[in-house]
Amino acid sequence: MAMAQPRGTENEAELLQLLVDNMSDYAIIMLDPQGNVISWSAAAERLKGWKAEEIIGQSFSRFYPPEDVAAGKTENELRVAAKEGRLEDEGWRMRKDGSRFWANVVITRLRDGSGNIRGFGKVTRDLTERRAAEEKIRRQTQEILEMAAVPVVQVWEGIVLVPLIGTLDSQRTQQLMERVLNRVTETNSPVALLDITGVPSIDTQTAQHLIETTAAVRLLGAEVILTGIRPAIAQTLVHLGIDLSNITTRASLGAGLRRALEMLKLQVVPASAGN
Amino acid sequence: MDARSLSVVKIREILIVTLPSDPDDSTVAALQEKVLMSMERHQAKGVVLDLSAVETLDSFFARTVAETAQMIGIMGGRTIVVGMRPAVAITTTQIGLALGSIETALTVDRALDRVMQLSGPFQ
Repeated sequence: MAMAQPRGTENEAELLQLLVDNMSDYAIIMLDPQGNVISWSAAAERLKGWKAEEIIGQSFSRFYPPEDVAAGKTENELRVAAKEGRLEDEGWRMRKDGSRFWANVVITRLRDGSGNIRGFGKVTRDLTERRAAEEKIRRQTQEILEMAAVPVVQVWEGIVLVPLIGTLDSQRTQQLMERVLNRVTETNSPVALLDITGVPSIDTQTAQHLIETTAAVRLLGAEVILTGIRPAIAQTLVHLGIDLSNITTRASLGAGLRRALEMLKLQVVPASAGN
Repeated sequence: MDARSLSVVKIREILIVTLPSDPDDSTVAALQEKVLMSMERHQAKGVVLDLSAVETLDSFFARTVAETAQMIGIMGGRTIVVGMRPAVAITTTQIGLALGSIETALTVDRALDRVMQLSGPFQ
């Protein structure tokens, strides 16, 4: 296999410049030891908006949002890069027109043979799109989790059912309250069944949350029926001295549903009885 | 109706009181006066307090509502609070505002059904 012939230094520098200019996702520039721009590239111009003659000689703090500059971020980044040899950062950067983009930045110390710092290389990547995509996924995941955590189902005209599964912590209870109250209002349902069959254990705080939810539902003009109270839960509640006498409770969801129908003055009768 | 004023409408023997979205202290203070006077004048059997526009409820407001309901009770009437927004209900419970054991209903229609049942068929 034939090796490429070594070329002249002139030619090599030109190829290097072509590489730097044609990189589409990376803006590669050089800074002097004080942080002033000493070399610019076409890719940097495309990403950040400045032409070479506008930016060469200026401090690289022009690329940072004013609040970051005020907080001393730019000086700190150069100091770290000078000491450690390399610094990587992700954050907001500014374009010439004042707009911002989310960037990954690597600053590399450039030392000559005798160990003097000649300047810094700075590689900037625009991650705005990736960040937006990540943000979207995070939001969707959050939504799915919230939905799964507290489903609220309308089981009958005027009755919503909230099957609670797993441990109820403060954050979930907050969601629970919001979703139950909103659904009660939206569906105009006077009865909400809160089923705790799937709640493994109950403590004072959880009970307090359930009592609060019941009180809030009542303020809307609806009633809560707490169902699915297993023997172990009933024992715990009494031992903890939690007073649920103000809340309608039933052992099973079926019994709760029957009570809810009663409250709505509805009756379920065998089909034959109707004839 | 401007954003701070209160309206009292009489339908048959029931007073429907609508509160503005952001009632200031003087509106809240006027609530009690106005409702009790109307109770006397119209010989009303019940008061429906419509809070569906209300976005914030403070302790003064809550206390006034609870007290007014009690006073209406002494005058022989019944008070039903209607249409409280979920966000308002959450704050009210979480900061522990006392609305007493006030009667509530989801909508004005449901409240009217209830009051009319109690007061018998209308002639």
